[in-house]
Amino acid sequence: MQYSQRARWFDQLARMVFFLCAILLVVVIIAVIVFVGSKAFRIFSEGGNPKTFFTVDNWDPTGENGTPAYGAFGLILGSIVTTLGAMMIVTPLSLGTAVFFTEMAPNWLVRFLKPLIEIFTGVPSVVIGVLGLTVLVPFLTRVAAPITGGSQTGGYGWGAAILVLVIMVLPTTLTVAIDALHAVPESVREASLALGSTRWQMMRKAIIPAASTGLGTAVVLGMARAIGETLAVALVLQGNSLPQKLFSLAALFQPNVNITMVIARDFGETSGPAQDAYWTLAFVLLVISFIFICISRYLASRSVYK
Amino acid sequence: MSTQSASQTLLPRSDEARLAEQAALVRRLRRGNAIASSFLWLITMVVAVAFVAIILNILWTGLPVLASGPFYGTGPEGIAPELFNTFYILILTEIFLFPISLGAAIYLVEYARQGRLITIIHFAAETLAGVPSLVLGMFGFLVFSSYAHLSISRLAGALTLLCLNFPVALRLFEDALNTVPRELREGGLALGATKWRTIRTVVLPSALPGVITGLILTAGKIIGEAAALLFTMGLFNPADVFTLDPTIASDTLTTRLYYLKGVGAGTTGLTSTQETALAAGIAAVLILLLLLINIAARSVGRLIQRRITAA
Repeated sequence: MQYSQRARWFDQLARMVFFLCAILLVVVIIAVIVFVGSKAFRIFSEGGNPKTFFTVDNWDPTGENGTPAYGAFGLILGSIVTTLGAMMIVTPLSLGTAVFFTEMAPNWLVRFLKPLIEIFTGVPSVVIGVLGLTVLVPFLTRVAAPITGGSQTGGYGWGAAILVLVIMVLPTTLTVAIDALHAVPESVREASLALGSTRWQMMRKAIIPAASTGLGTAVVLGMARAIGETLAVALVLQGNSLPQKLFSLAALFQPNVNITMVIARDFGETSGPAQDAYWTLAFVLLVISFIFICISRYLASRSVYK
Repeated sequence: MSTQSASQTLLPRSDEARLAEQAALVRRLRRGNAIASSFLWLITMVVAVAFVAIILNILWTGLPVLASGPFYGTGPEGIAPELFNTFYILILTEIFLFPISLGAAIYLVEYARQGRLITIIHFAAETLAGVPSLVLGMFGFLVFSSYAHLSISRLAGALTLLCLNFPVALRLFEDALNTVPRELREGGLALGATKWRTIRTVVLPSALPGVITGLILTAGKIIGEAAALLFTMGLFNPADVFTLDPTIASDTLTTRLYYLKGVGAGTTGLTSTQETALAAGIAAVLILLLLLINIAARSVGRLIQRRITAA
């Protein structure tokens, strides 16, 4: 009798402990939102102006050139341009590869590609950044010389950042897209083929529409990853402000800025109001990635096959 | 298309003309299929070749550095402190991460009823997984380093990595627990064991290979992380780095790599060539560690499969 009582007591204790572990996750995310949020709006009562923060490109929170300036437009634009640019390359590449991988690839190729993708998902972003710095930047400096007029720093900038982001985001998008295509039941393929469609017709008219929400999720999750990607991008951007001529091809090939780069480079060395400006940037990142997660959840909730 | 073919059947036409038309259609479809197929082949090959080329390039430029003696020393061109710190922070993080995330996974899989609570926790996990690691690093700096007075230390770094990897680990452990067949649990409960005893003696042993795979995969994430550690663990080592003291600041392989080629380039006391060589070496070490982790996870995964098929 005493034994069973003790066992029941232990059972309750275990349940309680596991419950606390699970709740900790909710506590952490709420804490992230609350603490980052609590710091996010201070700058606007310390000399920052919400309007100029988002519309002016003049980022100088420590006041190196006189009075501090908090115009983050350039940084935000940098994050948006690099993310969208990378996704324009990643989307066709990853969806094409995913379709090939699930519908067409011979067995030996699957056995080779699967571990390759898994390994690549884990490649540290700083390693890709260093590789971009030592291989990609010198290469782009030479290739883009006609555009930049032979500038020594022509390899740095949005162009290099976009290519580095492609490498960082592709494995994520690819994995999610492959999962989405695998979730389409075999019977859909059989039905389509039994109606006499070619393999390509089957993919285009049956498989891809059936998996469309899952493929959308893949792209959105890729964007979430791209906007928060830090070190790989930071190493190949290395600029201080937007280029002079923004609407030219040369703008892609000169040192440039984005949100994550300036945080990684400068946040640790600041304090007071200057640091608060970086907290606002962090909150912007947090909000953007939260929106992406909500979109991906919405898409996932609408998908037929899971 | 359908109206066209309907009108065609009404018209009296020779069999040859119809056959020729069908043959043309088949040719068109085949050609479309062939073009699309070769295009997909091409895309996949581009991606695969890029991946392989990147890995080979890192190993190719890094491996000669790995052969040199000072690379493993404690000097400015050595990585002994960083190697030690990387494994130290890996173990320290897993001490927090493993039990907490396994506990959370057990609660979600074994205890919680399907309902709002599970949805909330899963939503929290997805949201946390979407937070950029840089922002989590700033959060760790604020909460652990400043508010909790841990300053810039290994402990603050490990706690930040706990927050960062919690959702990933939870997902992996949940998957591992979900592979355990229902009947095993029912058997345990039918024998009169309490829930906790069933989990301890039946579920966890059956899920062990999956749990170990999860542990190994999170280890890979921890080793490769850098952005979250910039502000929580610092970029520099104290003089006496080979201690188990969790309150000191220290760098890791990844943050050292960032410092070498990023903010600290030209201030490390090394020549530019030495910096580049050291960076190539560190990158190669990281890739080798990653490959090792992947092979380990894969062989454990194969063990699961053998178990399932044998059972």
